[in-house]
Amino acid sequence: MNVCKFANFGFTVFFLHLVLLVESMNAQLPRERADADPPVDRLFWASYSIGISTVESVSARNLNSTVKHTFGLVDGGIDHFFGLDDGANTRLGLEYGFHDRFSMGIGRMTFNKLVDMHAKYNILRQTVSGSTPVELAVKTSVGINTFPGTGRDFSERLNYFVSVMIARKMGNFSLQATPMYAHFNRVSGNNEKQLFGLGIVAGLALNDRFSLGAEYLPVIGDRNPGTYDTAAVTLNIDTGGHIFQLFFTSSQWHNESFIMANNRDRFWEGEFRFGFNIHRVFGF
Amino acid sequence: MNILLSLIILLFCGVCDDVRQDVAYITDSGHVEFTSRVPLHTFTGSSDHLHGLIDFDENLVDFYLDLSTLKSGIGRRDRDIYRTLNVDDYPFAEFTGTLSTSFDQNSSETQQVEVQGEFTIHGVTRNVTIQGTMQKQGEELYLTAEWILNLEDYDIEPPGILFYRVNEEQELRIEATLNSAPKEEI
Repeated sequence: MNVCKFANFGFTVFFLHLVLLVESMNAQLPRERADADPPVDRLFWASYSIGISTVESVSARNLNSTVKHTFGLVDGGIDHFFGLDDGANTRLGLEYGFHDRFSMGIGRMTFNKLVDMHAKYNILRQTVSGSTPVELAVKTSVGINTFPGTGRDFSERLNYFVSVMIARKMGNFSLQATPMYAHFNRVSGNNEKQLFGLGIVAGLALNDRFSLGAEYLPVIGDRNPGTYDTAAVTLNIDTGGHIFQLFFTSSQWHNESFIMANNRDRFWEGEFRFGFNIHRVFGF
Repeated sequence: MNILLSLIILLFCGVCDDVRQDVAYITDSGHVEFTSRVPLHTFTGSSDHLHGLIDFDENLVDFYLDLSTLKSGIGRRDRDIYRTLNVDDYPFAEFTGTLSTSFDQNSSETQQVEVQGEFTIHGVTRNVTIQGTMQKQGEELYLTAEWILNLEDYDIEPPGILFYRVNEEQELRIEATLNSAPKEEI
């Protein structure tokens, strides 16, 4: 009987302790995420796939510097050191993030001594929850041919570009469709003043350090004589501070307008060249 | 007899409730800062989203931070940090414990304090003891603390930059002003 009473008393005390413990646990702060629906991270590893811009944006108060380099055709063989002895086209570029969704940039490339300026705005961000299933960005650009002695006035040297980038990441795989339009104020011969294209960009993250990428840029509708759709494949390497892109591409040009207008090599016929992009971000 | 004893205990609990203060100290905008070192380079990250609660009656010290609010000044590096900490699976760094030293709430002097409890990050929980200071400033409580977090203790692989690795020891500093608030509103 005494044992029974003691057990009853023990249970009562245990129960009271339990009540107090639960009360104490409830006193903890409820854990809440700062952003309940965060955006998907890293659809692509850089703001350029190879030659085509991606939805990847430059963060606010960050400056992205880019060096882009393409050489001659690989099929030149050892005599041309697989294209590295041939003329290179280099573009140096800077892009500043005024906001996590808005950036502006400027670049200059060897060919045509072309100076281009662009603005990019991310309208939609794909979210982890899927509430926004795609990433959507718009890019506009103006280019100025600064090559001397062509006899062109200022307005004749200008070209304009606009593209819409629609992308989605699915696991480690990302896909982007990029309808685009380019306008050239003055063209030579039978070249088109207006060009339409549909860039396709794909990316596959292998791990945190390496990813593969590919792009294909068919011209839609009328195109310049003797030009072909551009294709390229790349290996991306994230060293922690830099993103290196080592690629083979049919086009030696570095922005979409001139890739559509001037690519005269056929990737599928073995007419491709080695190139690399280097991206480095600085904080301000 | 046992019923009587239980009633006395219950009554005692009720009396205790009556003499307890009905306020606790709380913040959702505390400052957290970490310093990482690699050879020839040091960088700092911070967040102003530290949530905290100090309840002297319950002797409860409870803090947490959404790690995705940490910013180092470079967006790409921030994303590397989130991946390193596996923020998708373990979004919070948390401390829950008790004050192991006394604190005079009637004094406005800065007082050295020590807390003991469980610190959790990256899904790993360790018992820790952390020294800091607290100062009562009217209805506010100002708190600072610093300690070293060893990444290896929490199964966090230090990220590498080329041939270098981030030092395993991260210097952490927190600073927060907690406001008094009625407990029923917390």
